[in-house]
Amino acid sequence: MRSTALRVTVLLAATLALAGTALAGSGGAQQAKLEVALVLPCPTNDGSWCQQGYVAAKRLQKEGVIDLKFTSNAPQDTPGASQVIQRYVAGGSQLVLAHSAWQDAAFSAAKRFPNAPIVYAGGGKVGGNVSTYEEPIYQPAYLAGMLAAGITKTGVIGGLAAFDIPLCHAQMEAFKLGAKRVKKSIRQITTYIGDWNDVAKGKSAALAAADQGADVFVVCGGGPASGLISAAKERNLSIFGYVGNQNGLAPKHMVGSLVYNLYPVFKAIVADVQAGKYKGKVYDLGLRSFTFALNPKYSAGKIPPAVMKQMKATQQAILAGKFKVPYIPK
Amino acid sequence: MDWSTIIGVSLFASGVQLAMPTALAAVGETVCERAGVLNLGLEGMMLTATLAAFVAAYYTHEAALGVLAGVLAGVAVGALKAFLSVFLKTDQVINGIVIVIFAQGITAFAYERLFGGLSTQPEIAPLHDVRLPGLADIPWLGPVLFDQDALFYVAAVVALSVWLLLFRTRFGLLVRAVGEAPAAADSAAVHVDRVRLFALLVCGALAGLGGAVLIVGDISLWGPNVTAGRGWVAVALVIFGRWNPLLVLGGALLFGITDALQLRIQAASGGTTAAVPFEVFQALPYVLTLVVMVAATVASRRSAQPAVLGIPFRKGVSE
Repeated sequence: MRSTALRVTVLLAATLALAGTALAGSGGAQQAKLEVALVLPCPTNDGSWCQQGYVAAKRLQKEGVIDLKFTSNAPQDTPGASQVIQRYVAGGSQLVLAHSAWQDAAFSAAKRFPNAPIVYAGGGKVGGNVSTYEEPIYQPAYLAGMLAAGITKTGVIGGLAAFDIPLCHAQMEAFKLGAKRVKKSIRQITTYIGDWNDVAKGKSAALAAADQGADVFVVCGGGPASGLISAAKERNLSIFGYVGNQNGLAPKHMVGSLVYNLYPVFKAIVADVQAGKYKGKVYDLGLRSFTFALNPKYSAGKIPPAVMKQMKATQQAILAGKFKVPYIPK
Repeated sequence: MDWSTIIGVSLFASGVQLAMPTALAAVGETVCERAGVLNLGLEGMMLTATLAAFVAAYYTHEAALGVLAGVLAGVAVGALKAFLSVFLKTDQVINGIVIVIFAQGITAFAYERLFGGLSTQPEIAPLHDVRLPGLADIPWLGPVLFDQDALFYVAAVVALSVWLLLFRTRFGLLVRAVGEAPAAADSAAVHVDRVRLFALLVCGALAGLGGAVLIVGDISLWGPNVTAGRGWVAVALVIFGRWNPLLVLGGALLFGITDALQLRIQAASGGTTAAVPFEVFQALPYVLTLVVMVAATVASRRSAQPAVLGIPFRKGVSE
């Protein structure tokens, strides 16, 4: 009896689904949605790197531009990531967004599928149908540095980073240059902790720099960022959020966040594929993709109005292409 | 360079804080290795405990319950390790690594399932913010019990108790017997597998406590792989401490304080702009540990390693 009922239900559901597809198909005058696969190295709710990628892709899906499939917590190693990318291409995805520094994985997948558009994050080699999108975090870091110079009471600011890689190095240097533009005498303490995930060590490093007088911090790396938030609450430090909009995580202490906005980046890539114009290239939207989001609730220190004005003018100059933030990768 | 800002009370405090989770796990590992079980799943035990502690503290708003949940989760993983190593007698190196990989996957998955819908990163109230009415107001004892540095006393007491357990109790004698000569112990009517099971449960409890302390006593939030290799360092510290819980604790403190020291030197010397590259400071804890280990081994000449470490006991089968 039960199995008969089940069969009838399944049959009914299948019929309905078929009818639905037919109906949708009959109205299919508009452009077909692009089949996009998003590969993430971490969970979709990490409040940072992966969440930013996920949210941007979801928005394109909501707008009806793409059909989205995604994998979170994908293997980080080259063969593992390459496997995931290849599976999506073989499964019919028309564009794979590999949201990590997966240059080698992207090229290894491209060897088997040379015609598939594969895009990886973080900048590097491009060629064939493999593209990359830059991560210009140094640009908002420069603006953050300008504010930091206005906020600091000690004249010492802090930089906290996971590793001394070009991404973090350029960010730390830009933060320092931004601060020095406002006040020449500013000194910056930069600490590298040697780990992306180690929250406790990040916190300890922040406290050590705070003992040396640093009172405004910028950070590179998810683990160090969480550690810095914890340290900021303990010592009343002023800090800047990393990759995601972290202003809500420490409303009193976050001056603002360096927010990686991938929506315009993904949109540009999708548009290129849909228009048939896609080829391997570097997508760099500068301050439009790595934005600076001020926190209206910040209250741990004071931002002098003159400094704020100067920062906003610089922001406009960068967006208008009149000023270029120095890029110092090492 | 201003040395007074580098070396001081806060160096000790932050060193202890960095060292404690590792120290507790390493003391736990000493117990099961003394019983002859090589537990490479320590990192997995700690990681599982961090999530259990976080989840319990998050939902009950009681940091103390978080600690309890961490300990229980550690014991559960200890039981799993015992099932694989002691009862199924599978290869201990392999099942240890399997446990670590399993824990890394399952914790990230569970975290995403539990907190995936939240728009902000969830946080818990840290242990030192918890005030039990009456208790915290007791002069001297209150501040000590609720001060983060109190962790040092906790770990010291734990290490001392484990030392007493191993060297001054009948259970400790049994543990060491099954780690040195299981066949002889068996012929004296000692239930070898049962002793090893208990040793692994104790190890799990301590590793779980270490994981819980990392979350509840320090950072108040959770992220994938939040233990960041502390379990592996703890396994190495057991060798460093020559399977003696007190030396293991000393080693963990040395490592933690050197680590805190290198972060402070980096900060004080101006980071990347300094004459000495910061990588030199970063390597400092590892170099120091290696030097002490080599020196200690050369000085004592005799191996302290339990004789049958990593070898499952099969009744009637000679090794």
